[in-house]
Amino acid sequence: MNPWVRLAWVLSLTGIPLVLLLGVLFPFERSYYFVAFAVILLAIVPFFAAFEGRKPAAREVVIIAVMTAIAVTGRAAFFMVPQFKPGVAVVILAGVGLGRESGFVVGALTGFVSNFIFGHGPWTPWQMFAYGLIGFLAGVFFSRGAAERNGLGRGSRSYKPWIIGYGTVATFVIYGLLVDTASVMMWASEFTWPAIFAIYLSGVPFNALHAFASAVFLTLLSTLIVEKLTRLKTRYGMFQPR
Amino acid sequence: MVRNSDAFGSLHPVVVFGYFVLVVGVSVVFLHPLILTVSFVGALAYAFYLVRWAGLRKLLPGLMLLMVIAALFNPVFNHRGVTTLFYWEDNPITLEAVVYGWVAALMVGSVLLWFVSYNQVMTSDKFLCVFGHVVPALSLTFAMVLRFVPRYLAQAKRIAAAQRGIGRDVASGNWYARARHGAAVLSIMLTWALENAVDTSDSMLARGYGLPGRSAYNDFRWRERDLMGALALGGGLLVVIVASVAGVLRAEYFPAIELNPAVPLAWLVIGVWALVCFAPLLLGLKEEVTWRSFRSNS
Repeated sequence: MNPWVRLAWVLSLTGIPLVLLLGVLFPFERSYYFVAFAVILLAIVPFFAAFEGRKPAAREVVIIAVMTAIAVTGRAAFFMVPQFKPGVAVVILAGVGLGRESGFVVGALTGFVSNFIFGHGPWTPWQMFAYGLIGFLAGVFFSRGAAERNGLGRGSRSYKPWIIGYGTVATFVIYGLLVDTASVMMWASEFTWPAIFAIYLSGVPFNALHAFASAVFLTLLSTLIVEKLTRLKTRYGMFQPR
Repeated sequence: MVRNSDAFGSLHPVVVFGYFVLVVGVSVVFLHPLILTVSFVGALAYAFYLVRWAGLRKLLPGLMLLMVIAALFNPVFNHRGVTTLFYWEDNPITLEAVVYGWVAALMVGSVLLWFVSYNQVMTSDKFLCVFGHVVPALSLTFAMVLRFVPRYLAQAKRIAAAQRGIGRDVASGNWYARARHGAAVLSIMLTWALENAVDTSDSMLARGYGLPGRSAYNDFRWRERDLMGALALGGGLLVVIVASVAGVLRAEYFPAIELNPAVPLAWLVIGVWALVCFAPLLLGLKEEVTWRSFRSNS
């Protein structure tokens, strides 16, 4: 493993518990805010370091950029319908088709770049991590299967329903919870359970619509996109484990 | 890419980025009413200088609403504090929580306003300059995405027009038909994009991508005034941070509101903070005055 990547993992794996411990040992007014923010930033570091340390081939860089741009375009092109966006679906399919590391990079970059259109704010790292984690987990769960079957499979052997199910749950739970936590940090200057509960509750309709949109777009897109990506991968020998 | 080329924005991106990070950081960390008021007014003035009424008019109503919600949100859920004002559904509403809510609202407002300026000044090319050396592969990917997005939006329009011609209009039919047609456009675009991607990457290889000794493109030079700006702003921020940590500026809200006495030193620190917060605006105004004075009036 590249020494820089190792350093990043060490930094992240020791840094996060250290920050949490410091937050518990030396609590001050609103220390949870800074603890959470630091944890999110530290959690992004090793994934990005892994991408850097791999010294990605030109084709991998371009394909990752293409998938990110498609996700961002999707988020921007459907702007007239709030929350009804294909962004998460594209990120998940990038994770399925290209593997977990690329899934994270596509997701995190999607969150980052799309905020040049929608506006950056304290929520940017949270969105980046949420998208990234969704793409990463999609790769963990499904990318091996996609590589073995050259796509999602057909009929009863297809695992498309699982991807749709994962996408729905992930959008609601991972994206919804993380981004709503960013709002908690903005609104509730005081950490009380009723306040946090009220914010999560007010987010439920939006997250439900968002999750529904992911399910719809995964239904429509998953076979198409994953087959295109696996075909490209086998044809050009990209993203092979080294 | 240059949306607003004001004097502060023409400083080296590292200075600009560091300034925003630290000013927002101080505003968020030290919940002192004076620090936040100065930060809020400074952010508002600079945002007004950059985007004028046309830009602010769209943002301000939403911002006000957010601040009012933030201010009301706190006392409803937070019942600490010794001075009970009244009871609302058996829950005490305390003076301390109300004050704290408004301070928090100022914090939310000033952070959002600083980000209005950030989005104007810290354009993506400057972001690339700051991070191009640290994470070259990611920065390259990021730069490509920035180029691809407008290109894909244009291509998506073309594909959608062609699809409309064969009766698959993205904007007609029920919601599911629309989503299906939208997904078809996305899928067609992906095929087109991946074909281009193979060409692009071959072209990159032919031009020496990945060879040792390649550097990141950088259009920004570090000049003397960047050093001066960094030292002045950094020094000012250091004074404010040290003074706040040392307790010269102290604000506690619970159980009772406690502010530090208004000693001259505290006012001095507030003055330094005000200079820091208004520095971008003052720099821009100074530049405009110089420009006007150089213009011949004949």
